[in-house]
Amino acid sequence: MGLTTIKDAFDRVTKKQKLSCSKTQEVIDQIDQELEQVLQTLQSASDLDSQLDYRSVLAELKTKLKDMAPLSQLESTQKEVNIAASKYPKLLEKSFNPDISKAYRNIEFDSHTVNEVIASHFYRRGLFEIGDSFMKETQEPESACAMKLLFQEMFQILEAMRKQNLELALNWAATNSDKLKENGSDLLLKLHSLQFVEILQKQSRDEALKYARTHLSLFASDHMPEIQKLVICILWTGKLDRSPYAQLLSPTNWDKVAEELTRQFCNIQGQSYESPLSVTIAAGTQGLPPLLKFMNVMLGKKQEWQSMKQLPVPVELDKEFQFHSIFVCPVSKEQSTEENPPMLMSCGHVLCKQSIMKMSKNSTRSFKCPYCPSDIDSTNCRQLYF
Amino acid sequence: MEMDSLPNGNSATPNPSSALIPTAAAPPSSKLNQLAESLKLEHQFLRVPFEHYKKTIRANHRVVEKEVSSVISSVAEAADRDGMSRDEAVNHLSSLVSRLQGLKRKLEEGSRVEHLQAQRCRARLDHLESADAQNLSEWNNVKVKRILVDYMLRMSYYDTAVKLAESSNMQDLVDIEVFQEAKKVIDALQNQEVAPALAWCAENKSRLKKSKSKFEFQVRLQEFIELVRAENSLRAITYARKYLAPWGPSHMNELQRVFATVAYKSTTECTIYKVFFEPKQWDFLVDQFKQEFCKLYGMTLEPLLNIYLQAGLSALKTPYCYEDDCTKEDPLSQENFRKLALSLPYSKQHHSKLVCYITKELMDTENPPQVLPNGYVYSTKALEDMAKKNNGKITCPRTNFVCNYKDLVKAYIS
Repeated sequence: MGLTTIKDAFDRVTKKQKLSCSKTQEVIDQIDQELEQVLQTLQSASDLDSQLDYRSVLAELKTKLKDMAPLSQLESTQKEVNIAASKYPKLLEKSFNPDISKAYRNIEFDSHTVNEVIASHFYRRGLFEIGDSFMKETQEPESACAMKLLFQEMFQILEAMRKQNLELALNWAATNSDKLKENGSDLLLKLHSLQFVEILQKQSRDEALKYARTHLSLFASDHMPEIQKLVICILWTGKLDRSPYAQLLSPTNWDKVAEELTRQFCNIQGQSYESPLSVTIAAGTQGLPPLLKFMNVMLGKKQEWQSMKQLPVPVELDKEFQFHSIFVCPVSKEQSTEENPPMLMSCGHVLCKQSIMKMSKNSTRSFKCPYCPSDIDSTNCRQLYF
Repeated sequence: MEMDSLPNGNSATPNPSSALIPTAAAPPSSKLNQLAESLKLEHQFLRVPFEHYKKTIRANHRVVEKEVSSVISSVAEAADRDGMSRDEAVNHLSSLVSRLQGLKRKLEEGSRVEHLQAQRCRARLDHLESADAQNLSEWNNVKVKRILVDYMLRMSYYDTAVKLAESSNMQDLVDIEVFQEAKKVIDALQNQEVAPALAWCAENKSRLKKSKSKFEFQVRLQEFIELVRAENSLRAITYARKYLAPWGPSHMNELQRVFATVAYKSTTECTIYKVFFEPKQWDFLVDQFKQEFCKLYGMTLEPLLNIYLQAGLSALKTPYCYEDDCTKEDPLSQENFRKLALSLPYSKQHHSKLVCYITKELMDTENPPQVLPNGYVYSTKALEDMAKKNNGKITCPRTNFVCNYKDLVKAYIS
């Protein structure tokens, strides 16, 4: 995009403005000087001077100021500022999408829903004060309150973890151990490992051994190698940093466990890991450029845009936004539906049912797969479920 | 615990979780292209502070012009005056000198403000430049906050907007000061006061004229209506003569219709004229003002949030989002987001994108889809994993159908 050119254009404005500023100061100082001079002449003049002299002095001052033409001096530098200042927005318009609302359909969002979404976003980001302030200012009923309580618990646990206190986290993981197991998460073991390493660092060998016996041994059946590694560390109690296992001390371990806890907490509470508002805005950031490009080409067809059932252009989102399987028939370019499901042909290629029916003249004859030399018998095709 | 007899864990890889650190490869060009495209959406981000800066420059310049020209004409006037005593002349000149001193002070203050605003413009340029593949997630976080502050400012939730900007240390990246100017006018209009709105019109006269704005006319009409409401017909007519008549050539119809209210009272049941007396006319003025204000500063008329949400929801919307088993990670699994997306179009796809039901990962050439004899499709990764754990047996998680790993066939999706 060339941010450098844009920066240069902006610097030109500030440079011209500085010039104009010093010019203004200069002009004012000049006038000031002239006035002071005349003032001095007048004051120092003795009473003997006649009145006529004052007039001529003032008249002289008048012509001097007129010759100085301060206004036109100011004007010329200001003009240069104006030129630079009108070029810059033009450059911005050229380099950016000057109006992203071109891709906007005139459909009003229900502001209560939007406000609720925003309040939830603040709470789930741990911005409780901001969320409360927002609720107060919008005067929405406390519908996002459930969200607040939910995430308050999570952020308390995480806050304690930041202070190397695992008690809350361990309590939570123990209470939810069944669900964690269902999710295939070994969060509880990870938390115990962190605690164990803490004890190794700060307390005695006996304490560590005791902790391992009571808490780690429970995981022996599924996680033997990890537990062996941990327990062997007892040999280096208090000097783990000089052992082959020094990595266990890395603070990134804590970050990773905190992330895993966040993920599991959200999942068990039926929430997404990412804030849905952030996800949607990120998808919008990727979706707007192609939509705007299309709108620029389709100028004047705004009417159709307002009533479309499907976006007029494909919007390719990154894979983190793919939540559902979409099958597009490579022959008809249509998305599969329940009536027109994807079918697996004997060669392994997949088409939609309608395309197969068409190519086989309603199953009356075999046809060639459009992607390989195989002959396809339409009665041998299988419906797929993604 | 028989720890001693057990073999040592492989000390070469002491931490199992460390194996998952992603390698920081150079970002592919498509990513960079995507970033560049998304930066192009930031027109308003650079434009608004610049318009603000320009406005300050102009206002400061006007002050200087005015003062200098009045000092000069004041000198000229003194020179042309007869019979001025010496003391009078001295007094006159000293007052002009102190006037110039005052101007100098104003000038200094003015350049200080200009400097701050120029800095803000530059901070935004720097912020755009700072976006790269490494800090993108943090940068996007700030972007979401910027969009939310924009929304709150437009909806007049000023307190929270200021709090969020301050707590995130991003005052230079949002337009709180600009909106404070709007707030004054909006608050006044909501109290049915027009003075600040008219002052604003006068301040931006040339630019409003250029964009053929009739906002001032609308404010004047409302003021006229208020005079009629107070049954002050004479004053209303004088007012109309002075302030409404100049708009006649361009807006005759509206002028005629509103002027006809003089014949009625505010309690009229005549539907054509009744609407003019309704309090919602003031809300309408507030909306009009917001639009004019946004236009003047080069902002989008709708909040950025609405524009981004609409595009994002449409891009995410598929018929599957509304099914019961929609994954929680999809924003459209939530009632509120579904409500917002209801009247928006579905996304369009030109290529198949298959997501494994088990792992939720994309199925592509590296992780191709495989078909069970019952027609259900899962990713190779998930099925291999399942087979390894269950002696080569595969159980379909959706139908409980059981088969052998070797019964699977690959599907080729083009």
